[in-house]
Amino acid sequence: MLMTIGFSHFLVLAALLFAIGTAGVLLRKNVLIIMMSIELMLNAANLTILTFARMHGDLGGHSFAMVVIAVAAAEVAVGLAIVVAIFRGRRHVDVDKMNILKH
Amino acid sequence: MTFASGDLLYIAPFLVLALSGILLVLAEAFYTGKDRTALAGLTVAGALSSTVVSVALYRHLGATESRLLFTEMLVADRTGYVLTALFGVVAALAALLAPAHQRVHGWVVGEYYGILLLAASGMVLLAQAANLATVFLGVETMSIGVYVMTAMRRRSKRGNEAAMKYFLMGAFSTAFLLYGMALVYGAIGTTSLVQIQGRLVSGNLGLLTVGTFMMVAAFAFKIAAVPFHMWAPDAYEGAPTPVTAFMAAAVKAAAFAAMMRMFGQYMGGDRLPYGVIGWASPMVVLAAITITVGNIAAIRQDNIKRMLAYSSISHAGVLLVGLCAMGLGSASGKPALIYYLISYSLTTMGAFAVVAYVGSKDQERLDIDDWAGLATRHPGAALAMTLCLLSLGGMPPTGGFFAKFYVFKSAMDAQDQQLLWLTAIGVINSAISIYYYLRIVTTMYFKDPRGEIAPTRSAALAFVMVACPLVILEMGLFPNWWLSL
Repeated sequence: MLMTIGFSHFLVLAALLFAIGTAGVLLRKNVLIIMMSIELMLNAANLTILTFARMHGDLGGHSFAMVVIAVAAAEVAVGLAIVVAIFRGRRHVDVDKMNILKH
Repeated sequence: MTFASGDLLYIAPFLVLALSGILLVLAEAFYTGKDRTALAGLTVAGALSSTVVSVALYRHLGATESRLLFTEMLVADRTGYVLTALFGVVAALAALLAPAHQRVHGWVVGEYYGILLLAASGMVLLAQAANLATVFLGVETMSIGVYVMTAMRRRSKRGNEAAMKYFLMGAFSTAFLLYGMALVYGAIGTTSLVQIQGRLVSGNLGLLTVGTFMMVAAFAFKIAAVPFHMWAPDAYEGAPTPVTAFMAAAVKAAAFAAMMRMFGQYMGGDRLPYGVIGWASPMVVLAAITITVGNIAAIRQDNIKRMLAYSSISHAGVLLVGLCAMGLGSASGKPALIYYLISYSLTTMGAFAVVAYVGSKDQERLDIDDWAGLATRHPGAALAMTLCLLSLGGMPPTGGFFAKFYVFKSAMDAQDQQLLWLTAIGVINSAISIYYYLRIVTTMYFKDPRGEIAPTRSAALAFVMVACPLVILEMGLFPNWWLSL
């Protein structure tokens, strides 16, 4: 029997991706992996927006998703620049070892 | 759907900031001289002209007039223009702090000025947002700019670490904000806040509640409310002092501008059960723990920037009390919040100006003991700092006193049980906070100086140190005009 893929499948997939991204941010130590996890979360949110946009037949959601893609790209560019600056000074990108502040 | 070119007039503050920001970034690329002071002058001119335009538009609009722009993407009303004028002023002050600090501490970076104005343009967008998409765009325009500014001392390990922490937490919270917006969009079927307001009752309650809670959490990150505050002290300490001042004053004010729009205005009011059990309950709890934890942590700090960071966390808690009052329908909530934001932003800029003044080459003098005897050597700076600290502590006759007074009064006006005990917590904590503010004052006035202090001398810095305390005194002596804004 053929199963149709409906809106709820997309929503559940997006929720799972978001959860995986959140877990990645909280558990991983490498900054690059954390940034990938954040991208996963943003794209999960985008998938949710697009699913709802199709569900409601609303074009506003589609344009919102385009805005999000552009903004996320800008954010990652800045993030990677900061990672490069950190790596130059310390030769590692491990968040657990970033603790010179507070002291 | 047509593009209404007449609407462009109403986003003039944004256009001025964005265009002058882009021009300044370009100017930096073609600038050959070593001294970047000229860029600072242009920045002040750009920021202040945006303030002038905001004031003109404020007077152009009627008291209760509200105009939706660009198919409900933005809104023009007096509240928005008061805040855009404030962001222009704070950006100008942040530009004035920078040249001397850059010269003395060796981070002459011309991009600071352009990015400062671009970040301010994001804040203006937040003050005028009427759509989830524009809220997101504003938050990101502002945040990305401030991430760059935090990282501007490229060779400083502390600066890099601060930027990394700020960036990771900020981006993480952005993801939550977006997912929350996605769920609210799913429940209602539109991103326009005006239409969301109209359809709150008919929307899917589960999606709405989860979505709103996620947005509350994301904004709590941005304003550094406990328990989402862990990045703030590190980022404030590691960033260059002018950037810290801008982060503490303007970023917080802008996040509150967006929250006032979203929660206070469009999702607030008597739309039961949503207004009360929707977002107000977590916000009340956040406010209570933010005020308390911020204060208690501030007591234990010896580093002035970290102390001011925790103090700003606790101020975010008081602002949340005002936001709850506004959302629960207290008519005095909005003027109280605006007054608080103006007073708090100017006080913070003044306090950090003194911090920048006291530091000298290779020595930032951030430890409280370094400030011993400042009053005998530099009485003007000590007096300016004292006034700012009194205002932060909420003592009369400064603006900080009436700020807290009116916020707590509006909370009482809301006639809500939860806000009553919240007010009690707030008042007790104001008393506690006097302790650590006065600790700096007594160090400055009653302890013997430890060695010579060669402060950072600059006319621009001195201007900020004189102007901010004078305005907060004026706000404290004659609050009525400010409350009528």
